[in-house]
Amino acid sequence: MREMKLFLGPQHPGMHGNASVHMYVDGDIIKRSFLLPGMLHRGFEKGMERHSWMNNISLIPRVCVVEPDINELAFAMGAEKLLGLEVPERAHWIRMIIMELARLSIHLMAYGGIGGPTGNYTLMYHAHADRNEILDIFEQITGMRVYHQYIVIGGVRKDLPKGIEKDIHKFLDSLEARYDEYRDLGIDNPSIIKRIKDTIMLPKEVVWELGVTGIGMRSAVNKPYDIRKVMPYCRYDQVEFEVPYSDYSDARSRIDCKLKEILQSISIIRQCLIKIPEGPVRVPISRGQSMRWVVPKGYVYSAVESSRGEFGYFMVSDGGTNPYRVGVRGASYPQGLLGVEKYMPGTRIDDAPMWIDTMGVCSPEIDR
Amino acid sequence: MTNSMTNVEFVQNLVKSNVNVLQEHITDQYQVHFVVEQDQVHYILNILKNAGWIQMSYLSAIDWPEENKFELVYIVFNWEKPVYVQIRTKIDRENPVMNSILPIYPGSKYYERECHEFFGVKFPGNPDYEKQLILENWDDIPPMRKDFDPEAYSKRKFPQREYSETYIVQSEGKSKLAKMEARKQRAESLRGGKK
Repeated sequence: MREMKLFLGPQHPGMHGNASVHMYVDGDIIKRSFLLPGMLHRGFEKGMERHSWMNNISLIPRVCVVEPDINELAFAMGAEKLLGLEVPERAHWIRMIIMELARLSIHLMAYGGIGGPTGNYTLMYHAHADRNEILDIFEQITGMRVYHQYIVIGGVRKDLPKGIEKDIHKFLDSLEARYDEYRDLGIDNPSIIKRIKDTIMLPKEVVWELGVTGIGMRSAVNKPYDIRKVMPYCRYDQVEFEVPYSDYSDARSRIDCKLKEILQSISIIRQCLIKIPEGPVRVPISRGQSMRWVVPKGYVYSAVESSRGEFGYFMVSDGGTNPYRVGVRGASYPQGLLGVEKYMPGTRIDDAPMWIDTMGVCSPEIDR
Repeated sequence: MTNSMTNVEFVQNLVKSNVNVLQEHITDQYQVHFVVEQDQVHYILNILKNAGWIQMSYLSAIDWPEENKFELVYIVFNWEKPVYVQIRTKIDRENPVMNSILPIYPGSKYYERECHEFFGVKFPGNPDYEKQLILENWDDIPPMRKDFDPEAYSKRKFPQREYSETYIVQSEGKSKLAKMEARKQRAESLRGGKK
């Protein structure tokens, strides 16, 4: 049969964000493919050099659209390392609550995302409805729903509002009660199992070759390699949680790990709400002027565990009020670019959106 | 190796016993930086990879126009001994060429491609480092260089439109107000007809 060129995205139910996959297909088997990023390039790295450290707080959440808080935390942690700043104890715990709520929200969205390519839209609507409740909680805490700009250098912007614990507990209880329902709708649903079991493999060797991190890696190498565990930031060393992993990485086991992480995040937030101490949430920065403070010279790389893997900021300061260079390491960079080029060929056309979803490719962080 | 040795000390021993370190800095217990000569980067990355630093986390460049240098950064990570190792080296800015590390870290392919696009650093050994990736039909100097001015670029690329100061109503008779008046009159006449 003649080879034909097909585009997956930029507008497609299974394609997240604004990138497109060029596929050369023979019948319904993909022969060659590559990702075409660049439709969402907004020049953030250049823009950050032109704004002060404080102003950048409003710029960085836009790097990854669906999961903005990891950017804020990685940026703030890096700058704090350069400044030698100690964040107040309460701020660490608030940051953890925010991070885990964000992880719940993105996991729900990604899990609902498999409803698109499989035709099970009920799953997607349920997941988005539950995500909406998380956004309501975020709105109460930060004043904003999607881009929060809440975690700033030196702590968090303001304290938690009174009585928010009740709302968070209520949401966690309802999500936990619906957990089995979610499994039945998606991963234990026979019609979906046919689509995800033993397909879209990610062998161990490929993980090390590409440099995939996060759930993709953990589901293949059978080790709990999670940055929260191996080099704990915030106060992740003071809460108890498990990192799900497996030794056989097909689409189903990756989604399974994702669902198990939802339970772990629920447990982490509950522990945080018990252990969180009273006290201040932000320390002022005493170098330079009140808003245009300076950061001492240095190089730093700070990484956090996002829902898709290691998400890092590489920052250079020359001692001025603006960062000299900021580089973003998107968590989906390896699998999104090299993975699509090398390992997507061989799958079927209708599995391509599932490939993108279960590998966790987020195009805004590839473009930046 | 004794057990009392911390991971950072282990890296320090490993790197210092193999290459000539120009400068080093320890950020904290999870991160250490080394500045080495350009021709020793591949050697030390190879040694680090064999010692367990199998994950290539980041590769990029920094522009230092005053020194007339580019600084390349390689960040590698080991999951068993959690330390980020930053290897940095300065290369010539006029003719920036650095051999690709593709044989050591295959995952670096697109990082090098992006670095070429944004800084103009050439990576011989990487088969398609010159292909365009993110910027489509770019016709200026690489944009992440410090001497690239985004404002001048946008003014050249998108010339300012000229707007006249007076607002021109194109058709006098069919203005919104006139239409409303006509509608009112018609409504009144209809109402009058019913009575």
